[in-house]
Amino acid sequence: MRPLLRLLCLCVAVAWPVMAAAQDAAGWNKVIEAAKKEGRVVVYNSAIGSPFYKAAIESFEKKYGIAVDTLDIRANEMRERIRTEQAAGRFLGDVTQPGQATATNQERDNAFQPHGGVPNAGNLRPPFAATAIQVPAFVQAYGILINTNLVKPADEPRSWTDLLDAKWKGKILFDDPRAIGGGQVMFFATYDALGREFHDKFSQQGLTLSRDLRNDERRIARGEFPMYVPEVLAFSLDLKGLPVKLIIPSEGVPYVTIVSVILRNAPHPNAARLLINHVLEPEVQLFYANGGQVPVTDVLAKVDPDKRPLAGAKLMGTTNAPRQDAMLSLAKDLYK
Amino acid sequence: MPLNRNLALTGLIALLAFLSLYPMLMLFYGSIHSTPPGMAGEFNLAGYRALLTPADIKILANTVGLSLVKTVIALVLAVLLAWIIARTDTPGREMLEVLITLPFFIPPVLTAMAWGMLGNKQVGVLNEAWKWLTGSQTSPINVYSYAGVIWHLLQYSTPFLFLFIVQAFRAMDPSLEESSRMSGASRWQTFWRITLAMMLPVVTTGFILSFMRGIESFESPFFFGIPAGIFVLTTEIYQAINYRATPDYQYATALSFAVMLLMVLLVVWQWRLLGSRAFQTVTGKAYAPSVIRLGWLRWVTFAFCILFFVATVVLPVGQLLAGSFFKFFGFYGWDMLTLDHYRDVLASREFWRAAGNTMALGLMGATATMVLGGIVAYITTRTHWRGRRLIDVLAWLPWMMPGMVLGVGFLWGFAMLPGPIPIYGTIWALLLAYMALGTPVAVRIMSGVYQQLSHDLEECSRVHGAAWWPTLWRIVVALTWPSFAVGWVLTFFMILRELSASILLYSIGSEVLSVYMLKLWTNGRAEEVSVIGLLMVVLVILFRWAQLRFIQKRISVL
Repeated sequence: MRPLLRLLCLCVAVAWPVMAAAQDAAGWNKVIEAAKKEGRVVVYNSAIGSPFYKAAIESFEKKYGIAVDTLDIRANEMRERIRTEQAAGRFLGDVTQPGQATATNQERDNAFQPHGGVPNAGNLRPPFAATAIQVPAFVQAYGILINTNLVKPADEPRSWTDLLDAKWKGKILFDDPRAIGGGQVMFFATYDALGREFHDKFSQQGLTLSRDLRNDERRIARGEFPMYVPEVLAFSLDLKGLPVKLIIPSEGVPYVTIVSVILRNAPHPNAARLLINHVLEPEVQLFYANGGQVPVTDVLAKVDPDKRPLAGAKLMGTTNAPRQDAMLSLAKDLYK
Repeated sequence: MPLNRNLALTGLIALLAFLSLYPMLMLFYGSIHSTPPGMAGEFNLAGYRALLTPADIKILANTVGLSLVKTVIALVLAVLLAWIIARTDTPGREMLEVLITLPFFIPPVLTAMAWGMLGNKQVGVLNEAWKWLTGSQTSPINVYSYAGVIWHLLQYSTPFLFLFIVQAFRAMDPSLEESSRMSGASRWQTFWRITLAMMLPVVTTGFILSFMRGIESFESPFFFGIPAGIFVLTTEIYQAINYRATPDYQYATALSFAVMLLMVLLVVWQWRLLGSRAFQTVTGKAYAPSVIRLGWLRWVTFAFCILFFVATVVLPVGQLLAGSFFKFFGFYGWDMLTLDHYRDVLASREFWRAAGNTMALGLMGATATMVLGGIVAYITTRTHWRGRRLIDVLAWLPWMMPGMVLGVGFLWGFAMLPGPIPIYGTIWALLLAYMALGTPVAVRIMSGVYQQLSHDLEECSRVHGAAWWPTLWRIVVALTWPSFAVGWVLTFFMILRELSASILLYSIGSEVLSVYMLKLWTNGRAEEVSVIGLLMVVLVILFRWAQLRFIQKRISVL
């Protein structure tokens, strides 16, 4: 009797994952069917006009035949629009992709609903992990932009601490760290990694603060300043042909994880779930990586060789929601 | 008749209240509640208490100072330019009139980018030219400064005021000036005591509107002020909404109501200044706008207009035009020459859809706004109906609130309407917001011209047996068409450029050009934004040309 029982247990143990996978596959197929019945999905997109977003959406539409309607809107306006619509009982959007800290604040305001699980979340590489609400989509990271006519190769900064050199005094254009944005992400990450001492010194470098990031990188190219920090890695690809160079510092790059979330009472929840899963497909992660963003799944080997340094940049640190207000206030004290 | 009148008045008050008071009330709620509408919170005055800090008082002083300086300079320039165009024999006036007004219609983000290239201290084109010409090593121009902010604001204020004032100069009966000259007054005394004095309603209205716009202006201080550490009320409001981890709408709306209080004081000042004085310059007597013969001085006035045009249009638009044919702005080499930006814009389905929506909204919005503004102005200036002052106040309200905050008021207001009222998420939300934003200017333009119109004309028509409607149509409307046309063009292009409300209210399928341009801008495609800006300039030239032909035809008929 006992050998028979053992055999039975063995069979169950071997068959269980297969059965579970089959059951999962059947369950996911139902999601796909339901999504197709819904026929469309509405995305509130703050990566306004970015080509990788467009490529990701087109591949989704082609693969599933589900139409994607996109409402392009800036991050903070989108947050208020979502909040107002939900407060008024108007549930119009399905999916949005905010930065992780903003998403955490919105999650606190009950703006999202659980996604219910997406198979591709299993492909996420460390340190990225999905929660019941948030699924990492890609990473936006930041480096240093220099003007190659004004910075000799021997003088190029190699680390964040090189920015403290006296020769750069009065020559750095800095995205305002007292506001939500790239400058604040850099402030956060370098503060955690290099300590307050770094910022005590950096704030004495005669920095010019600005909040016009797309124009600021052009100001570097024109030679108004030799250096701009922090530059979105992906944006630097748009400057090909200009006398600028992106530097990835030795300590690594500050970054923001962009997450996919389903809006509360989304009218097309299955299509939304399918889209969030689709974003983690290797082909879509390659769109992001070849667009200068950092992928959240392991596709680095397939990334175009010239984009690989960006996609594979060492991640240094990021913001987090609970400390955001305190860090903004600290930045205000340091950068007056 | 009184019953019909009361019904019509009630309907008008209800419409104006919905367009202006309702979003304001939503904003007021936001200013006295710890959270925005629809969220649990408590009533308190924390937003207003936060205004009473030394930093905010400095910001207020900065804002008022910048706006006052630029308005005074712009007003002097505009009066001078309007007088040159409307009342002198300066050569090429028709062409100059179109050219002088062009800067007003170019999106500020584009001219800011162009001036950033022209006037930056380090490698600005003008500074480099100065160094090359003089051998100097110093840069005399720095747009990232108070002067830079004022200069950029001036480029919008001067043509705006010019458009406002030039029609009033044209509509003035020259017999008053002739009487002054015959009584022994000099040309200057006549200009100062008669011409300008009779223009007081238009000039003070223009001054106040321009001063208010100065206080509410955002782009110039954002682009040129913040890098120089210059903060104003609008950049402070922007920071409260966009720079904080959680947008602080309570503080932003409280600050906006503080701005509004300032505006109310200004409007009250204007009412007291004008009081019950008469400014009628268009009477029943036949006249033709007289032209002052300047002799050789006409070439000086011509040169002055050209100088203004070169400084405000040729320099920045030249940069945009040149840049649109190269891969990147400011990098001019044979290998960079391209027509790709034009091809990309013209081949974009999104562009054509946005252009179609914008044109439809512009045509409908400008017409509806001017009709509404004309009705409001008629009631407030030419009748003694009860409730006319309330109508005037309601029509003013949207002008007193910074655009970016008013946009939030519309979002809250339209979204919170009961479900069966299908406005939110439709193109009608945009149309209503544009009407609300445009009505104050429409009313001011039409009020100015109605105030210049003598009551004799209507009375004469009525005495000769014409009913109210034919009198209105054949006398009042016929005489005020040129100003209506100016207001229409101003409103049309305001709609084309409007972003603050558009981005919060547009929905899928109702994208407008300003949102499309923002999309290109944030994606680093400044050159394509310029292409659209240049197309808008061409459109302006066509509209202005057609409008001036129309006005000339009307004046020759008169």
